[in-house]
Amino acid sequence: MPALPPPAAPPETPFALVVRAGNALRLSAVGAAAARAGLGVGMTLADARARRPDLLTLPHDAAADAVLLERLAAHMQRFTPMVATDPPDGLILDITGCAHLFGSEAVLAAQAVADAGLTTRHAFAAHAAAARALARYGRAGGDVRDLPVTALELSADALSGLRRAGLATLGDLARRPMAGLAARFGADAVQRLRAIMGEVSNPIAARQATAAIGARARFAEPLAHTEAVLDVLEDLLVQTARQMEPRQIGGRRFVVTLERSDGARRRLVVETGLPVRDAAVVMRLLRERIDSLSDPLDPGFGFDSLTLAVPRTQPLAARQIALDSGDGASVGDDSVAALIDRLATRLGPDNICQLRPRDTHIPESAQQLVPATGAAAPWPTTAGRPLRPLLLLDPPAAVTTITSFPDGPPQRFRWRGQVHVVCHAEGPERIAPEWWRRRDGHIPGQHGLTRDYYRVEDAEGRRFWLFRHGLYEERSDPLWYIHGLFA
Amino acid sequence: MFQHAPSAVARLPLAARAEALPALGGGQLHEIHAAADDWAAALAFAFAAIDAAGRRPVMLVHAARQAVLNMQPYGEGLIGLGLDPARLVLVEARDGTGLLRAGLEGARCPGLAAVVLASWRRFPEYALTASRRLVLAAERSRVPVIMLRGDAEVRPSAAHQRWLVRSARASPREANAPGLPALDVELQRRRGGMSGGRWRLEWNDQDGCYREAPDTAPTPDAGIHDTPLSGAVVRLSAVRAGLAGAAAASRAA
Repeated sequence: MPALPPPAAPPETPFALVVRAGNALRLSAVGAAAARAGLGVGMTLADARARRPDLLTLPHDAAADAVLLERLAAHMQRFTPMVATDPPDGLILDITGCAHLFGSEAVLAAQAVADAGLTTRHAFAAHAAAARALARYGRAGGDVRDLPVTALELSADALSGLRRAGLATLGDLARRPMAGLAARFGADAVQRLRAIMGEVSNPIAARQATAAIGARARFAEPLAHTEAVLDVLEDLLVQTARQMEPRQIGGRRFVVTLERSDGARRRLVVETGLPVRDAAVVMRLLRERIDSLSDPLDPGFGFDSLTLAVPRTQPLAARQIALDSGDGASVGDDSVAALIDRLATRLGPDNICQLRPRDTHIPESAQQLVPATGAAAPWPTTAGRPLRPLLLLDPPAAVTTITSFPDGPPQRFRWRGQVHVVCHAEGPERIAPEWWRRRDGHIPGQHGLTRDYYRVEDAEGRRFWLFRHGLYEERSDPLWYIHGLFA
Repeated sequence: MFQHAPSAVARLPLAARAEALPALGGGQLHEIHAAADDWAAALAFAFAAIDAAGRRPVMLVHAARQAVLNMQPYGEGLIGLGLDPARLVLVEARDGTGLLRAGLEGARCPGLAAVVLASWRRFPEYALTASRRLVLAAERSRVPVIMLRGDAEVRPSAAHQRWLVRSARASPREANAPGLPALDVELQRRRGGMSGGRWRLEWNDQDGCYREAPDTAPTPDAGIHDTPLSGAVVRLSAVRAGLAGAAAASRAA
């Protein structure tokens, strides 16, 4: 139904979306120009290209379609509260008792089509199944009895069977006894036919807007004491907790808006790593946030309104209190999550990190620092692999070296103004550059510099991870760097 | 992780080693001093005190402005020391005060396996009062709190133990390759106990923990055949084996 025009292309250029079905790419939606050129949904891309070599295509993004449909359904709630989606590309609006607000049904439909901004088809009927069949297979204002049998959406075998029996329209079918139809084409066909004819009820599951979680307090007299404001805030948090509890959700983000009597507004935002309903936990975070404000909360002549909103929520089931309240795993987890939230609120989420492995053999890229509020990723084992340092220097520090022979480890090196004499060395461990990530990396000589890593121990027993940046054939005077420290 | 079975200590072949290596116990504050070059050794000594089999997170706090070297713990290297990198929570505080505040919060949290604070050089905020606060928080939550001091002068504090850690020369492996991590640790101060002990520890890959090694540092040209056999090394209880290991150690006595 919705067919968006191709982005930035002349309107007469045929455009289609393609989807991979089995081993072939097939058209899943066509634009108006493509339809005029004789292209249709279900055609293979090769056939379509043979007819129109200038066909523009894009891959079909079904998820984006679903999101668009949901957004459209939410928008259609301005016409009626009863809106249901008919995936992948349909909307059903129950406009009973709503049409007169807009003048007439036709005016309402014209406004809805204009609002959608897409190429659409619509139809009116007394119930949802008939309206759907008319919109998809018939004409607006037509009779369901004149609809072709394809409106039943049966398999191709069943459809050709119906046509061979000389049954072209739903009206032909409806005159026949239903028992024979059920025996030949299955109970499904009869069900659909009766639904379209209106003989059985076909209710729609209207989407329901969920009420936003929030609470608000207005004061007759402005509150001039921050402590009093915090008390009211705690009360609002308890109210939102009561709203969230029956819905089994917890807040991930809490936004407090403080409105001062002189019109100034102050927003405080706290986020948590796990969904919470507990007012005391959020209160602690808010106090933390207020403490860390660069310019403190100034009540001035007082706040006259407080608004608490919980824009981001997540499912949070009620939990039974464990009997052994000692050092049970869940108690520990909770306290650590609360600690991370508190520190993230004070220091900023980017300063509370955890290490996450990455699939690469370049040492500095093999791990990534990510905010610790997310889930931890499991690390692969390192059994049988060369030793890695405990600390990695970031960036590697350049050192001056003396080597006895070109391809060997250094004999001594100078780092931070101190000369280290190498007593033991192991290596090289050769780490090639990731030429496939580089531009023109596949061309010989353009793949970047190879690194030769050595694990060395100096006379004082310190172990270092040194590397020579570049082989001698890649670079005439390769530089040495110290990249890590071993325990 | 450094515990000795009492029976094993009683029949030490080396007379010099009179007392057992004390553990970095939970609910206490420990100070570990090290030079900047020995930082990795100090960190390894601190991490080795953490129960490797547990799943509880380890908090490592450092202050951005203090650090002498710009470096970060390396996950694959941590696995080599028996610590799962996914357990590590890295906290970067702005300055010394922020470091102590974050450390105090961590020390109050019973869900952590350990709190490791990395501090460098002069650190005027860390005095008797601040360290006493850390001790009180640790005593309540039973979490070990370890204060790493890099390039720092020794000053009075409420810590239970004060260690000086240096890198030590490892027993070399085949083809003149450097051996596994080795440390030279010195217990400078210990509240309510003997101090002044000095141990040479070497990482044991099979047991996944540090074991005491003979004090004689290997000569640079010592090959694999010249390194002391395992018979000369003190037998320690298998720490990771828990109760079973302790039982085995008492049977051996």
